Amino acid sequence: MLQKPRSRGRPSSQAERDWGRRAAEEAPSTSRGAGSSQEARSTASQGARRAEASPEVGPRSPQQLELKVAELVQFLLIKDQKKIPIKRTDILKHVIGDYKDIFPDLLKLAAERLEYVFGYKLVELEPKSNTYILINTLEPVEEDAEVRGDQGTPTTGLLMIVLGLIFMKGNTIKETEVWDFLRRLGVYPTKKHLVFGDPKKLITEEFVRQRYLEYRRIPHTDPVDYELQWGPRTNLETSKMKVLKFVARVHNQDPKDWPAQYCEALADEEARARPETGGPAPSS
Amino acid sequence: MEEGRAERRRRTEALSHPQGGTRRAGVMTDVHRRFLQLLMTHGVLEEWDVRRLQKHCYRVHDRTGAVEELEDFINNINSVLESLYIEIKKGATEDDGRPVYALVNLATTSVSKMASDFAENELDLFRKALELIIDSDTGFASSTNILNLVDQLKGKKMRKKEAEQVLQKFVQNKWLIEKEGEFTLHSRAILEMEQYIRETYPDAVKICNICHSLLIQGQSCETCGIRMHLPCVAKYFQPSLEPRCPHCNDYWPHEIPEVFDPEKEREAGPSKVSKRSLRSRQH
Repeated sequence: MLQKPRSRGRPSSQAERDWGRRAAEEAPSTSRGAGSSQEARSTASQGARRAEASPEVGPRSPQQLELKVAELVQFLLIKDQKKIPIKRTDILKHVIGDYKDIFPDLLKLAAERLEYVFGYKLVELEPKSNTYILINTLEPVEEDAEVRGDQGTPTTGLLMIVLGLIFMKGNTIKETEVWDFLRRLGVYPTKKHLVFGDPKKLITEEFVRQRYLEYRRIPHTDPVDYELQWGPRTNLETSKMKVLKFVARVHNQDPKDWPAQYCEALADEEARARPETGGPAPSS
Repeated sequence: MEEGRAERRRRTEALSHPQGGTRRAGVMTDVHRRFLQLLMTHGVLEEWDVRRLQKHCYRVHDRTGAVEELEDFINNINSVLESLYIEIKKGATEDDGRPVYALVNLATTSVSKMASDFAENELDLFRKALELIIDSDTGFASSTNILNLVDQLKGKKMRKKEAEQVLQKFVQNKWLIEKEGEFTLHSRAILEMEQYIRETYPDAVKICNICHSLLIQGQSCETCGIRMHLPCVAKYFQPSLEPRCPHCNDYWPHEIPEVFDPEKEREAGPSKVSKRSLRSRQH
């Protein structure tokens, strides 16, 4: 019943035990610092699966490459859980290290595995931004909530409302208008909310950090006012049509009841249907 | 050492055909993908909930298909995960032998999954607690003893009050279990870190005489010192009237626990089961 010990990925030498201990003592990350290349040279001759080779040692074995892709996949999965876009510099620093020369290939292979195995697509947040997010190719289903281990994102409801507001008001809205609306739902910027906690922080900081929203100060306003727009992640994860349908459902109406927005959403759908030139491969 | 593009391409092409060894990798469908995605939201999941999750994924993507036997379903996914150095590992809770599953990392031996959720000093606190637990005879470390090590932690200075809260965070995230002011490892930690623990503490680590896996809590023979997990004791002594140590044949002095029976659990009533499912959802 219990797992029999597997030989794969189980280094037995003292050197690798030390590495394991040292890696545990290093700062939290899946990083392999400069120190590891020394370890690699002493263990490379044993052909151990986890050994890393610096370029001087020679061509890297298929196992080493496979392991690198595996580390990259895990890194991307863990980082994306926080919903913070993943910077290329972090990937290079914490995972790629000495394998910098084949970074594009590693990233491409990691993206393929992520999509085939987990159903996540690796995309660049904006062209040339060198930051990435994972998009779910599987549609979320209501019953998922019953079998999840986390709360999913209960804040999604609030996010959808704000996204809807922004779109219906012509793709930009003043922060004061947002609160005027949310007050009617019992959500206040200054009052702690049972589900959302600190709604002001959620909308103006959390959602912005996750790139769902953009939050910009409007110049020459007194008192200071800010405007909210869709962020780059929103356009990747959802669409104007989806948001319009959400708004329509909330009002128990049909999307076509808002002709201007419906036209805009249709145009957006057509633009999306055209073959895309972008992809998970990094720009350079 | 400059290498041509062709050379680079040839080397990385090797990767697109994963080294699955002798086992042919299975095929992933959306059923498996949704299962994996949702399984990942749990640190560890009991078998009953895993079956429920599996059925849910079939309902979403493949209503007409027959639900594959769980063991085969998981083996199929594991054959695909092999090239990514992760696997869905099956274990059992040390106190009552419930089967549990977790998605674990086979490659790194450091506490990497924890690393993304905790600061450096928090991770060090966990390491200190881990060492105390492994060195202990009972598999438990007292809160007092752990907190006394707060001054030795790496990273930002942590006060004892803060450390108490961090320990509670470990409990909420299912890395530790607390019982009457003492802490031991959650089955999640054992599944994820067994390899790391065995390699890092080879002398202090205890092994079960029956299943040969890592042992944190268990019973031991007072004569020869061998140890066994409580569920392993239950299974081993189930048929016998006079329990004797498998190693030295001396009379086994401890109470023999009952073997975990999922059917009996179900009979206890739906309220008990759903309470557990809710608990497992806490973070």
